[in-house]
Amino acid sequence: MKIKRVFAILALLLALFCVSISEVSAHRLVIDHEIGEIGIKAYFEGAGPCRDANVKVYDNESNLYLEGVTDEKGYFGFPPESGMEEYTVTVDAVHMPGHKEETVINLSQAAAGAGTDSAGGTEMPLFTRIIAGLGYLIGLAGAAMAYVGWKLKKKYEGR
Amino acid sequence: MHISDGVLSAPVLAAGWIITAVFIALAIRWSKKKGIEVEVIPKLSVMTAIFFVVCLVHIPIGPTCVHFILAGLLGIILGILAYPAIFIGLVLQAFLFQFGGITTLGVNTVNVGIPALIAYVIFQRGMKSELLSSRRGFSAGVFGAIAGGVAVFLIAVFTASALIASGEKFTGVAVAIIGAHIPVMIIEAIVVGFIVTFLVRVKPEVIGSLGGDKK
Repeated sequence: MKIKRVFAILALLLALFCVSISEVSAHRLVIDHEIGEIGIKAYFEGAGPCRDANVKVYDNESNLYLEGVTDEKGYFGFPPESGMEEYTVTVDAVHMPGHKEETVINLSQAAAGAGTDSAGGTEMPLFTRIIAGLGYLIGLAGAAMAYVGWKLKKKYEGR
Repeated sequence: MHISDGVLSAPVLAAGWIITAVFIALAIRWSKKKGIEVEVIPKLSVMTAIFFVVCLVHIPIGPTCVHFILAGLLGIILGILAYPAIFIGLVLQAFLFQFGGITTLGVNTVNVGIPALIAYVIFQRGMKSELLSSRRGFSAGVFGAIAGGVAVFLIAVFTASALIASGEKFTGVAVAIIGAHIPVMIIEAIVVGFIVTFLVRVKPEVIGSLGGDKK
C-alpha cells in the first residue's frame, strides 16, 4: 500500500515535469542559419519609395532569372543562385511610367565592401549638385554676356 | 516628365532630337534677327535656374509623387527663348540629378518646351484680345493661370504620347501620367497667375510675351 502511494507520487511528479518543460532548453546552445537574400530598394530621390514597380533580375548571361514587384517601401528581395556572382536588376516604375533604372550587383565586390551599395552614396550631396548647376548657369550667362559684349564692341568700332 | 534611357523606341528618340534641334535653331535665329539685348541674358539664366531647381519640389500623390515644372511661366516670360532655356535646364538635371536620360533629352525637351511655347501664345493672344482688357492686372492673372495650367496638361499629354508611341499601354499611361498631374496643373495655374499678375503690375517689361524683349 505504501509502495503504491510512493509510485503514485513519483508518477505525478513525472507528469508535472513533463508539462512544465519549456521550449527553451536551459543549456543547449542552438545555431540556426539561413542564406541571406539580395535586397534592393527603389526610391525617387528626394521624394518617396518607388512602390509596386516591376523588377526584373537577369544573370550574367542576360537571361531572366526572376521577376517581381517592389513592396510599399520600394523593397524587393531575391535569393541568390548558387555559383552566380553577378545580377543585373531593372526597376520599371508602374505609377510613374517612363521612369526606369538598372543596376548591376556583384556579390564578390559587395562582400569585399561594406555589404551594401547605394547609387546615391557615391555621389555629391544634393545641395552641392544644386550649387554646381547654378554655377554652370552663371558660367554660361557670363560667356553669353561676354559674347554679346564683344559683338557690341565690334559694332561700335565699325561705326 | 523626365523619361529615362531605355524606355523609348529609336524613332521616337530620333524625332525628339530633330524637333529639338529645329526649335533651338529657330530660337537662335529669332534672337539674332531681333538683336537680343544684354539684359535678356540674366533673365534667361534666372528662369533656367528656376526651372532647374523647381523639379526638386515634390508633391506626394497616392502611390507616386510628382514635381513642379513651371514651363508655362518660362514660356510667358521668355517667349521662344524658353525652348533653349528648358533644354539647358534638362541637360543640367540629367547630368547632376540623373533625372531622365541622355538619349531622351530631345524628347524630354519637346515634351516641356512645346507646351511652354503654347503657353506663351495663349498668354500673348489673351493679353492682346479685348477680353478683360479694362483690368490689365486681373486679365494677366487669368491668362497667366490658363497658360500655366494648360502647359502642365500638355506636358502630361506629350509625355504620355511619347510613351504610347513607344509601345506602352494607352490606358495605364494616360491615367497614371495625366491623372497624377491634375494637382500640379491646378497649383501651377494659381502660382503662375499670381506671379504674372505681380510682374505685370510691378515690372511689365520683364514679360517677353508683352514685348519686353523687343527693341
